[in-house]
Amino acid sequence: MKIRELSRREFLAVSGMTGAGLVVAGCGGGETIGGEEEGGGDGQPQEGGTFTFGRGSDSVTLDPIHATDGESLIVCRQIFDGLLDFEPETTDLVPALAVEVPEPEEDGLVYTFPLREGVTFHDGTPFNAEAVVFNFERWMNSGNEYHAGGGPQASDFSYYSGMFGGFDEESIIESVEAVDEYTVRFRLREPQGPFLRNIAMSPFGIASPAAIQEDVEEFWRNPVGTGPFRFVEWNQGSTVRLEKNEEWWGTDVPVEEGGGGPFVDEVVFQSIDDNTSRVAALAGGQLSGADGLTPDDVPTIEQDPNLKVIFRPPLNVGYLAMHTQKEPFNDVNVRRAINHAIDMEAIVQAFFGETGEVATNPMPPTVPFFNEGVERYPYDPDRARELLAEAGYEDGFDTELWFMPIPRPYMPDGRGIAQAIASDLQEVGINCELVTFEWGTYIERTGRGEHPMALLGWTGDNGDPDNFLNIHFNSANATEENALNIAYYENDEVDELLNRGASTIDEGEREEAYMRVQEIIMEDAPWVTIAYTRPPLGFQNRVQGYLPSPTGGESFNSVYLSG
Amino acid sequence: MTEQAQAGAQTDVVGGRVESRGRWRDFRRVFFGNRLALTGTAVMALFIFCALFAPIIAPYDPYEQDLTAKFAPPTSQHWLGQDELGRDILSRLIYGARVSLTAGLAAVAFATVVGTVIGVTAGYVGRWVDSVLMRLMDVILAFPTILLAIVIVTILGPSLTNAMLAVGIVNVPQLARVVRSAVITVRERDYVEAERALGAGNLQIVRTAILPNSLAPLIVQATLTLATAILDIAALSFLGLGARPPTPEWGAMLTDAFRSGFGVFVTGQHAIIFPGVAIALSVLSVNFIGDGLRDALDPRQRR
Repeated sequence: MKIRELSRREFLAVSGMTGAGLVVAGCGGGETIGGEEEGGGDGQPQEGGTFTFGRGSDSVTLDPIHATDGESLIVCRQIFDGLLDFEPETTDLVPALAVEVPEPEEDGLVYTFPLREGVTFHDGTPFNAEAVVFNFERWMNSGNEYHAGGGPQASDFSYYSGMFGGFDEESIIESVEAVDEYTVRFRLREPQGPFLRNIAMSPFGIASPAAIQEDVEEFWRNPVGTGPFRFVEWNQGSTVRLEKNEEWWGTDVPVEEGGGGPFVDEVVFQSIDDNTSRVAALAGGQLSGADGLTPDDVPTIEQDPNLKVIFRPPLNVGYLAMHTQKEPFNDVNVRRAINHAIDMEAIVQAFFGETGEVATNPMPPTVPFFNEGVERYPYDPDRARELLAEAGYEDGFDTELWFMPIPRPYMPDGRGIAQAIASDLQEVGINCELVTFEWGTYIERTGRGEHPMALLGWTGDNGDPDNFLNIHFNSANATEENALNIAYYENDEVDELLNRGASTIDEGEREEAYMRVQEIIMEDAPWVTIAYTRPPLGFQNRVQGYLPSPTGGESFNSVYLSG
Repeated sequence: MTEQAQAGAQTDVVGGRVESRGRWRDFRRVFFGNRLALTGTAVMALFIFCALFAPIIAPYDPYEQDLTAKFAPPTSQHWLGQDELGRDILSRLIYGARVSLTAGLAAVAFATVVGTVIGVTAGYVGRWVDSVLMRLMDVILAFPTILLAIVIVTILGPSLTNAMLAVGIVNVPQLARVVRSAVITVRERDYVEAERALGAGNLQIVRTAILPNSLAPLIVQATLTLATAILDIAALSFLGLGARPPTPEWGAMLTDAFRSGFGVFVTGQHAIIFPGVAIALSVLSVNFIGDGLRDALDPRQRR
């Protein structure tokens, strides 16, 4: 949820203080990593070797509950396990430290997790129900002795408050208790539709209580979990080194359920902020894999006989938001006209290439309850002119189109896309001045609704429709500051449906609510949806078993090096 | 030049005329005998011609996109190929000459006017005014110019006008210093004393005696500053702090191409090379002209 926040690297890239970062600014910060399994290798996975993974920036913290950026979370993902996990390459749930995905009890107010027995943390202490209770109490009670740490850039447990409503009395989780040594029971204050998906997110990895009790302030750089790799050293600004956990509980679990391995002896995360240098390091063999490729890098890497591209399943959407409370965008006909006026097929073809597909709904088809029945407004400039005339703008109008100054995973080239959109809009008489700001300022100003039209996007973190639809279209998120609903879209019926979808655990009812929301959004057209992106990752051919997660943070347990 | 000659000739009217003709001849001889300066002048003339007659010369509309021809290589229709939006690079470079040269000139004009006012005031008035103004200039000089320009644009908001202003501001101290030192050498000359004896006021002395005789170093410095100004504005645009898209500014054209990623080095080199060459050529030419002017105008170097 904090994924759009400004990272240090992005700041430097935009402000132009680093020579190298300038050119590429892009490489997409934290959240791009991933792809598609290719062939799965032949025969038995091989043991050993070092898997060196190149990425755009370093981690901020290795205490998962304090992490909000993709680069921290993907490292935490290797060191920690949660109670539940996402099945590889999807956002379906599988058990992890729990033995099974629990069924809701008492109308969704109680969940009982049976835990895996015989699991130990990397420091040798046992994993049990008390450890789970210890972690949740640390996160949810602001008065807890260990509600601290995280390092200099700690997010203050913001993923916990973000996903579970807040701390203490505001927390949706009322209590967590150890029923016996290997059973833990959650009691909720109110039912929460996405509860189990939230539990599976990587910030909620279970940490060793002994290590936290020993020194909570230093835990962020001495992380101890139960994951497939154990922490070795962190050379800040450059590398994080991990080694194989020989005693990992998941070795005998099938690969499809997130188990298998770990096969490589060592995992090294290497930060190379300059995108071009990173791709060059991959081509030169110094890296086993790299993320943050641009669409134009894809053909380059595919042509290299030693390299391959894997695409991460899409869990994002890029969009153009119109400020629905400002003239002339308060008129639905104007918004529809703009939808008709843009030739999105051509734009997506040109700027996303193989990495994107034209979006219809405000969430990608990998998310449950995606409405297949909704259709885009077809490209039809004549119809757009008619609609503008109906709205009283026969001669068009002048406005501003804001675009992002740096590439994002959901939009590799905001600057180019803005120019293409402006050119299409000019055809129907709408003249756009193209405006941008430094990235932090851009988020701040769009979050205050200062724009008439703005490009932006969203990378989801748990694959729940609530995580896409509620944040963007609930009027509660059309706030004066830090708005996520930057179309400032307000519709009572939509609010009611979204709230119902979030607070019920009845799947049928949720489906009905979210399906209807997508229809209404298309009718009301507060956005022009642009594309769903499959972020590309590059690998040496010998890398096998890389199973990219749509959320951007996959476990490397199944990775092995052939030949 | 004639004004300068007249001013210099005030002490000896007859000899002055002879000297005036001699100076102009010397200037021509030295400047046009300098092959680099001549080449620079020719290239600049070409760029200025492009800038003036862009709509007539440019083969295509510089804004017209063709998304199907992304990074299409040079062909007989598109001599320098097409950019990331399928726009004709040659046409954009031709229109870009307008933007980049005008922006550079505007920045230098600003720096020259402000720098001259500060330099003349400091040099002519002297005493504490001199100290205060020049220390202020030193403060600005203490920062690397491009960094300071970035800070100014970041505060004012990114746009071409603000980029011009920022580049103008950071170049003021150089010009102010040159003017000041010229004014100080001229200030005590006999002809200045003569003007004063004739009852001329300060402003008139500055106008008729001081300025014209300080002009030579100013012209040289302003020309050399033009080169860095063009480069700095291109750099700001490259960083997304200058010209707004879709303006065909040379630095902005570079950044447009670079934003497409590593692949541009394989498939779209022309989109990087040609704007880069345009920037390099214009900067080199202006530098050559500046060097030629210095050789021709500075009497010490001439000997």
